[in-house]
Amino acid sequence: MSDSEYWNPKIETLPREDLQRLQLLKLQRLVDWGYAKSPFLKRKYDQAGFKPEQLKSLDDIRRIPFIERQEWLDEQKRHPLFGETLTAGQDEAIRYHSTSGTSGATPLRVLDGTKDWQWISEMWALGFWAFGVRPTDTVYFAFSYGSFIGFWGAHYCCEKLGALTIASGGQTTEGRVKQIEELGVTTVCATPTYVLRLQQVASELGIDLRKTQVNKVIMSGEPAGSIPAVKRMIEDVWGAKSADTAGMTEIGTIMIFECSHQPGGTHIIEDHFIEEVLEPGSDRSLGYGEKGERVVTSFGRGFIPLIRYRTGDLVEKVPYSECSCGRTYDIYKGGIIGRADDMKLIRGTNVFPSAVEAIVREHSEIDEFQIVLTKAENLIDEITVRCELKTGSDGAWSQLQPALSRELADGHEGLRFNVERAGAGELPRFELKAKRLVDQREWKIPQEAR
Amino acid sequence: MAVDVLGRTLNGQEEELMRLYDGAKALLAKSEIPPCVRRNVGVALAALWNATNDLGLQFEQLYDLGV
Repeated sequence: MSDSEYWNPKIETLPREDLQRLQLLKLQRLVDWGYAKSPFLKRKYDQAGFKPEQLKSLDDIRRIPFIERQEWLDEQKRHPLFGETLTAGQDEAIRYHSTSGTSGATPLRVLDGTKDWQWISEMWALGFWAFGVRPTDTVYFAFSYGSFIGFWGAHYCCEKLGALTIASGGQTTEGRVKQIEELGVTTVCATPTYVLRLQQVASELGIDLRKTQVNKVIMSGEPAGSIPAVKRMIEDVWGAKSADTAGMTEIGTIMIFECSHQPGGTHIIEDHFIEEVLEPGSDRSLGYGEKGERVVTSFGRGFIPLIRYRTGDLVEKVPYSECSCGRTYDIYKGGIIGRADDMKLIRGTNVFPSAVEAIVREHSEIDEFQIVLTKAENLIDEITVRCELKTGSDGAWSQLQPALSRELADGHEGLRFNVERAGAGELPRFELKAKRLVDQREWKIPQEAR
Repeated sequence: MAVDVLGRTLNGQEEELMRLYDGAKALLAKSEIPPCVRRNVGVALAALWNATNDLGLQFEQLYDLGV
């Protein structure tokens, strides 16, 4: 069984009816637990008139009120530090983490107990095993750990599954590239943005990443890990397969992973999570093939039961049968597509940064880019994509600029995009989550209207 | 006969696993055990919780045992 394709063959291939029975049973027990132990949940459920005994079928999940991020933050503000969400005393916790705060918002604080913390690495282990990580691998984390939870669970998962695990905090990108080459690393883990940065620095150092022993690149933290053009570029430069995963601090770990069959999306770990897809801003449930907001219920972290949490992530669920791997876990086609609150309305057209990135990354001459939103004197919104070219690609610009402008317009109902060139090294690089959208729009009253 | 959370009979390997899990719980429930035992068995119990939970053999919380 040690060469099994599955981390947990029994459950990963469980018939859907049994998987759903398991979900219902776990949901009932978790809700009972949360209602009994968390003053926050008890108050919330009582106010909504919901009783745990009303959960007779999975459809009854719709009776449970949603948890919104803002109300969680408000709860933590009302009852510092963690709110009355905890089901056990703070002294039972062994880990503190918080959200990354890349959006500038107040970070959300979470605690984990001993079993919760091991469960977090267990979810990563399931995903890493599915992509082919084995005890013989040498796994390199091109990431600096801290109070943000990113990749911590993945690090412990690699120890758990027996791989040689290398942390690389506090190093330069140059140092990391050299270590990847010198230490015979087979698997690199990083955000998609930072994978691209490693590629850039390797190129500057004259290191051909295809000649290293890396055969797997595993990404997390940004939607780009499932963008086909990004994956193609990474797989080409590294001579390796690339996988997307996604998680969130609120649940402590990943809830989706890409298996080695690379179905064009990520499987949902459905024995540990219930993932609903709802129409954004409403409670209408959407079916396979419809894009909507994911709402997660996690069975893992009992310390802070997360039941029907509105994530703001945009996803499209398709059936498990779209993958040949044999798992009965459904799939998010294209992983996390973006965030509902990332969407910008430009002259009446919806623009998602991830959709712009998907088009920009089709052009391998572009090294880095930035989306800038401004308001012209006539109050009309303008969208500009600034592009930094790779060394030696200067000659491509005259054709690339109009082509990219046309493709962006074609992908956005004819919306006009300005495409400008940025100087070498002018645009920012990122290790954690990239912030490539700069919104400079301000409401200025034009002179003639005063 | 022991069953999993879906009501299915456990196989021999699963029964063995549940014996280990229940044994670790019973040990941690004792009051007079030295710290080196409590903390190491706690970590072991957390690992056993994950293995048994993965297989659908149990789904419960262990915070009252400090795990």
